[in-house]
Amino acid sequence: MTTYPATGTWRRYFSWNTDHKVIGIQYIVTSFVFFILAGMLAMLMRAELRAPGSDLLNAETYNQVMTNHGSLMIFLWILPVVAGFGNYLIPLMIGARDMAFPRLNALSYWLIPPAGLIMLASFFVGGAEAGWTAYVPLSIGGPPGQTLWAVSVMILGISAIMGAINFVTTVITMRAPGMTFGRLPLFVWGMMATSLLVLSATPVLTAGLVLVALDRVVGTQFFTVASGGDPILWQNLFWFYSHPAVYIMILPAMGIVSEIFPVFARKPIFGYRMIALSSMAIAVLGLTVWAHHMFASGMDPRLRVPYMVSSMVIAVPTGIKIFSWLATIWYGKLRLTTPMLFALGFISMFLIGGLTGIFLAAIPVDLHVTDTYFVVAHLHFVLFGGSVSAVYAGLYYWFPKITGRMYDEKTGRVHFVANFVGTNLAYLPMFAAGLMGMPRRVADYDPSFTSYNQMATLGGLILALSTLPFLYNAIVSWARGPKAAANPWSALTLEWQTSSPPPTENFAEIPVVTTDPYAYGEESSLTAEPAAAPAAG
Amino acid sequence: MSQQAMTHAEDYSAGLALGVDHRKIGMWLFIASEVMFFGGLIATYLHYKYTLGFPEASRLNIVAVGVNTTILLTSSLAVVMALSSIRAGRSGRMSVFLLLTILLGATFLTGQALEFSHLYGEGVTLTGSVFGSSFFTLTGFHGLHVLAGVVWAIVVLVRGLRRAFSAERNMGVEVFGLYWHFVDIVWIMLFTLIYLIP
Amino acid sequence: MKERTLFLSAIVAIVLVALGFLVASQANLMPPEASTRAVEVDQLFRVLLGVSTVIFFLVEGALVFAVLRFRKRAGDDRDGPPIHGNTSLEILWTLIPTAIVVVIGVYSFQVLMSIENPGRSPRIVEIIGRQFAWSFRYPDQDLATSELHLPVGQSVVFQITSEDVIHSFWVPAFRGKRDATPGQVSEMTITPREIGVFPIRCAELCGAGHSIMTSQVVVESQDAFDGWLAQQQALANDPGQLFLTMGCGGCHILAAAGSTGTVGPPLDGLAARAGGRAPSEDAAPYVEESILEPDSFVAPGFQPGLMPKNFGQRLTPEQLQALVAFLLAQP
Repeated sequence: MTTYPATGTWRRYFSWNTDHKVIGIQYIVTSFVFFILAGMLAMLMRAELRAPGSDLLNAETYNQVMTNHGSLMIFLWILPVVAGFGNYLIPLMIGARDMAFPRLNALSYWLIPPAGLIMLASFFVGGAEAGWTAYVPLSIGGPPGQTLWAVSVMILGISAIMGAINFVTTVITMRAPGMTFGRLPLFVWGMMATSLLVLSATPVLTAGLVLVALDRVVGTQFFTVASGGDPILWQNLFWFYSHPAVYIMILPAMGIVSEIFPVFARKPIFGYRMIALSSMAIAVLGLTVWAHHMFASGMDPRLRVPYMVSSMVIAVPTGIKIFSWLATIWYGKLRLTTPMLFALGFISMFLIGGLTGIFLAAIPVDLHVTDTYFVVAHLHFVLFGGSVSAVYAGLYYWFPKITGRMYDEKTGRVHFVANFVGTNLAYLPMFAAGLMGMPRRVADYDPSFTSYNQMATLGGLILALSTLPFLYNAIVSWARGPKAAANPWSALTLEWQTSSPPPTENFAEIPVVTTDPYAYGEESSLTAEPAAAPAAG
Repeated sequence: MSQQAMTHAEDYSAGLALGVDHRKIGMWLFIASEVMFFGGLIATYLHYKYTLGFPEASRLNIVAVGVNTTILLTSSLAVVMALSSIRAGRSGRMSVFLLLTILLGATFLTGQALEFSHLYGEGVTLTGSVFGSSFFTLTGFHGLHVLAGVVWAIVVLVRGLRRAFSAERNMGVEVFGLYWHFVDIVWIMLFTLIYLIP
Repeated sequence: MKERTLFLSAIVAIVLVALGFLVASQANLMPPEASTRAVEVDQLFRVLLGVSTVIFFLVEGALVFAVLRFRKRAGDDRDGPPIHGNTSLEILWTLIPTAIVVVIGVYSFQVLMSIENPGRSPRIVEIIGRQFAWSFRYPDQDLATSELHLPVGQSVVFQITSEDVIHSFWVPAFRGKRDATPGQVSEMTITPREIGVFPIRCAELCGAGHSIMTSQVVVESQDAFDGWLAQQQALANDPGQLFLTMGCGGCHILAAAGSTGTVGPPLDGLAARAGGRAPSEDAAPYVEESILEPDSFVAPGFQPGLMPKNFGQRLTPEQLQALVAFLLAQP
């Protein structure tokens, strides 16, 4: 049986609590702390790279900083923050009182802080230096911190799997009466697709990490080349997870912006079915493309072409989404609030990430640009311009729901502008540097790349500073902002049909759903009454 | 609020929309992820079997392990009997079959331990070769899953003795059964791939 | 569709396509095209860039237009029209990207087949990566070198491998890279088409010296190349040359060899320091041991485990003696 400590006390955020809203906030705040740490590591790298020559960090320290930057950003920021949104929103959006397994939910959160500390502890025992990809045999011979890294990622994977089991079970079994699959909010569809990917891909990474950890700690021979070990095997196991991981990070982000566009355009989402379907298509296709990361590796050359084809085909469902969002805002009555600005920024920057993905899928071009700054730029446009923009959009959009208070719109706009300028200035020059011949993950570079790197460092600085208005806004508004109404955006999804913040167990009575979640501009929505009626029995 | 405290999923008429209890769905999803985990380890084993040939595999004792396999398969039957017993309301009979499951599981583990020590005696070790690493890791992880299943079976047995299950309430037994059958099926896969296929 | 809309769409389409052509033909984002492969890859790259430019401006243009045109006017609190979708539009924007992707896929495949075709009787050059230097072997001449020289216009197949961790052999001006993976040999085909000196870089993280694991490839005329080969053969047992061929210069400073690596201790003036460094050892045995068993004594301030431990197999006894004597003779 589930127990809830008294609401309204901040202590519950530091305790074992099974309320999905508390857990959601725990996820979001914890991962944001890791985001800031990982951002500081990025700034250390940008400071070192502002000019050629090695002056600030030596090469080993640089590799440690680079490894932890990537690992923290992926495993302790984007993945858990997305799980945080899922936790907070899924029960509210489907009209449930909590997740299907509340205690499992608390456990999956409480695995994250220790895993994060284990990863950070690697700095003190010689560091993890092999990049977030941890290619063998480099990661087998590396210092002891590499073992801590592997253990940390394993724990985070287990946490993610437990979370995914919970999300899928909750959506299948706990939808309110009338909440058919055809009426599920698109964020929930995104989380479903993501969770299915987590369930199928993460365990394979865990298996691979078990092999690496055994090789390091026990002395097994999996990746000892002299005994017949095959370094390419690790790349297959790693990318079987880590390419889908990109979709794990982007599908919920696409879900978030799919919630935001209809509300602030005051129009129904365009092509609901195609957006939901394309999420599933991306999830399925996403499992078939991993070897495009290995075109330059020693893999069998004949196997490359099918992976090129599947990688290019993914552009189609992605394109469908972008066109559908454009059609959603077309003829709308756009309200350019901060969440809407970030959602628009998401489209414009994710587009760059998506288009450059085609270059990387085309093998002849890939063989030039893979493992260069072109890839660094591409992945940051997808994950920073894409996922992080959407996360910011979501944080602003649901801020009044989560905290019960309004954020400050002007400060939010300052944040958006600085973030947009910083992102483009930091990452666009990296495309050029990569094309001209700058490899990724270098602690030093040829002086001919200096100007690109100076621009990138300046952009990085602007990005770093852009978090300050956000933090100020979030903290001050949470403490002293004006009280928010239950439904300040006049949105139609269920989370807005209960108070802000929602009470324990979310709804006084379980709502009965009678319309689709984006019925803007139609008779039924003009009444501004919730699309919910008391449940029978 | 008028509602009694209850597990959340039981709160909904929609909760059984597909006619399946949430604990069963959760277990199925967990099993799906376990399939992928073993998939990774099996792929590793097969990759090296294909590239290195694994001459050491000839030291494996198919007959002894075949007997052990039969023991594990029998334990699945015992779990089926335990579940059908409690569904018929016969709690005592369920406990007997659970005890049988535990004993058979423990016997399998003992057999595996004997096999491992025999192989070590022949010089096939975890750290000695890629075959040793792949073989012991794969079968060892399966053994750990059997061990976890035995511990779980003991918990179910104790709960059964305390009358936690009845003809109507027996999801705890059923979910355990799903896990146990899964562990058995993995073993059939491993036995085929490691021992039977040359 | 109204006539005016049709007309506008046509203009927008023409402008976009023209822009795409302009960007694709004018953009100069790559290093020199020093191999025939580079020419084909760049052609594909330009096509991709042109197509991307059109899509980029189409989407961003629509986005900006929508934001300006459909922004909520003051006092207008109505909702937008309840449009849920448009099947023919949705089919259209599924089919068009599919068609584009098919064309790009087929074209990429053609380029791939063409650039990986080694032609008749290519020259073989073996490339070995190790932390943190590249070395090269010309099997026809049974000659190991520290520099890569290639004759212009002649097809060459690189056979790439590694002795420790994974590296990636990359000549940006050739547009190709291939991982150097321990335990296996990967091939890459190149035909140099321009005389010059072009940088070689390691593109796969390989440890602390990843960014300094650079070298260069000299593309020269057939005559110059033959002369260089003959000269290298004459120098095969020269210890100064061995120092570079074995990759020592990747990590150690030595003025006589012109090397500047700082991962390992500098070796100038070694004789003055070597004697008595490890307990009760003379200079020559100590230096020999440091080459064969680098971790038995590590100079203070440097990390153990970085230097390869296979020089015992790679050097003949005569070469080893010559190298030790050479190192101890450096001022």
